[in-house]
Amino acid sequence: MTKNVLSVEEVSYLYYDRIPALSGISFGVTAGERFAVIGANGSGKSTLLQIMAGLIAPTEGRILFRGQPVTEKTLRDKSFLTHFRSHVGYVFQDSDVQLFCPTVLDELLYGPLQLGLSESDATARAHEIMAMLDIEDLRDRPSYMLSGGEKKRVALGSVLTMNPEVLLLDEPTGGLDPRTQCFLVELIFALNEAGKTIIIATHDLALVDELQSRVAVISEDHRLEKTGGAEDILKDNELLLKVNLIHEHMHAHGTVVHKHLHSHYLFHRH
Amino acid sequence: MRRTIPPFLLQNDAPTSAATGSVSNSFLEKGIRQIASVIGTGYAQWEIASGEGLFHRLNARIKVLFLLAFIIVVSLKKQVLPEAAIGCFVIGLAALSKIDMISYLKKVAFFAFFFGLLIALPAGLNIITPGEVILPLFGLREAHTFWIYRIPQEIGFTRGGLTAVTLLTLRVMNSIALSFLVLYTTAFPEIIRALKVFRVPDFFLVTLNLTYKYIFLFAKTVEQMYLAKKGRLMAAESAAEGRRWIVGRMAFIFRKTQLRCEDLFKAMQARGFADEVKIHGFTPLTAGDWFAGALLAAAGVSFLML
Repeated sequence: MTKNVLSVEEVSYLYYDRIPALSGISFGVTAGERFAVIGANGSGKSTLLQIMAGLIAPTEGRILFRGQPVTEKTLRDKSFLTHFRSHVGYVFQDSDVQLFCPTVLDELLYGPLQLGLSESDATARAHEIMAMLDIEDLRDRPSYMLSGGEKKRVALGSVLTMNPEVLLLDEPTGGLDPRTQCFLVELIFALNEAGKTIIIATHDLALVDELQSRVAVISEDHRLEKTGGAEDILKDNELLLKVNLIHEHMHAHGTVVHKHLHSHYLFHRH
Repeated sequence: MRRTIPPFLLQNDAPTSAATGSVSNSFLEKGIRQIASVIGTGYAQWEIASGEGLFHRLNARIKVLFLLAFIIVVSLKKQVLPEAAIGCFVIGLAALSKIDMISYLKKVAFFAFFFGLLIALPAGLNIITPGEVILPLFGLREAHTFWIYRIPQEIGFTRGGLTAVTLLTLRVMNSIALSFLVLYTTAFPEIIRALKVFRVPDFFLVTLNLTYKYIFLFAKTVEQMYLAKKGRLMAAESAAEGRRWIVGRMAFIFRKTQLRCEDLFKAMQARGFADEVKIHGFTPLTAGDWFAGALLAAAGVSFLML
């Protein structure tokens, strides 16, 4: 039995059979781990997460879930489809595309009802999740009446009601206010402590620093540059500069203007 | 935070399905794949049009004028041979422009067959075009006449009818070959801008460009929405559920386009828009453009005289 809950083996992906999005990516994620895929805009992080979630099929290579291949063919098998979808949840970067039910409560019920839970069990789950995410007062609202932060909570809740073992989060803190970002980081820790495997795609190094996850760095030419602990990766200025996650930055301290390498995590590192 | 985690999230009790068998692709999935192919086709048009072939290098205005002029020539010709000669000339230009000839010819043949041959074929019968039957199909016991129509005893294709069918099919084929030649060698926004030659108002050109752009953006949104649904779907859904989802998403896209339209208008205002659209002019015509334009014009006149 393999110890990896999800394995990525030599995965490559071409958009429209032409534009390279990923090139020969391989790594494994163990159960209960916090794992971050980092890279600059357009490096292929979101595509990689969607492939890991079995939403799109790689052009080359394969994904294994607990040793079982996740392919278009295996996902057509009803038994495996239910098994995989109930264990692996995916939260989109753009919450708008994820919320398709009439109200917030309908969003939260959709997944558990798909899993075959009774309506009363599904409703109980939905209420527990609403209490946890502090969105009880939104239960009857349509998604277009929600703010960005509220949409993100509902999108996360819509996946959590399915109680997945692995949570794939695409840019979870992107575009959120500081309080909601803080809430999400705390929630990620709590879910991880509860035994969930957390995989995030981000270019937010502060988030990686906060989560202290294991990290896979994707370069701008869509290759896996390095995997390692958050501390090692975040100390490697040369690597971060190479993959365009930090940059040379000019700014002023009073009357003194100077230049130095800059990243948005840990504020300004001099 | 830990104490707020609901107990069910602490258990790994994800159900394993007793259901067996396979999930077939729903009409929804097929439709979404079609949308994805639309995006791909749009990208392919842009990429193919960015080539370095003979026609790619020509100024878009010359190509648009060439398209219009040759479509007029194609419509005016009344003999099969000159029409066939124009077809060979256009296909020759496509080959010289180094475009993917298999894809190009397949598209031309497909449209020429459905919108040319199939539509024109009944006109070849002696019911519509009287004359000498050179390809009899079947016979009736006797001829029938009603109102202004006469159905002869022997039904078949006449010489005049087949000539008319061939001519019409060739006209359709040539028009499509010309259109695809320009589409395969010119980026769509350039074609739109070149329409200024015909004094098409700027606001109309901007609207066309925005429409083209947002079709692809919203097609991408639809594809993403489907993936989000797929991530929470355990089995193939019924057609009724699929239809309900589509209706909901149509409303969502409609609302999103409305909001995007308002934002776009604000963005235009923020950059100085005041009820008058101004788009920048053309790249100047080079000596090569003038020379190629003259050659194409000479070819057009020659075909007209044939």
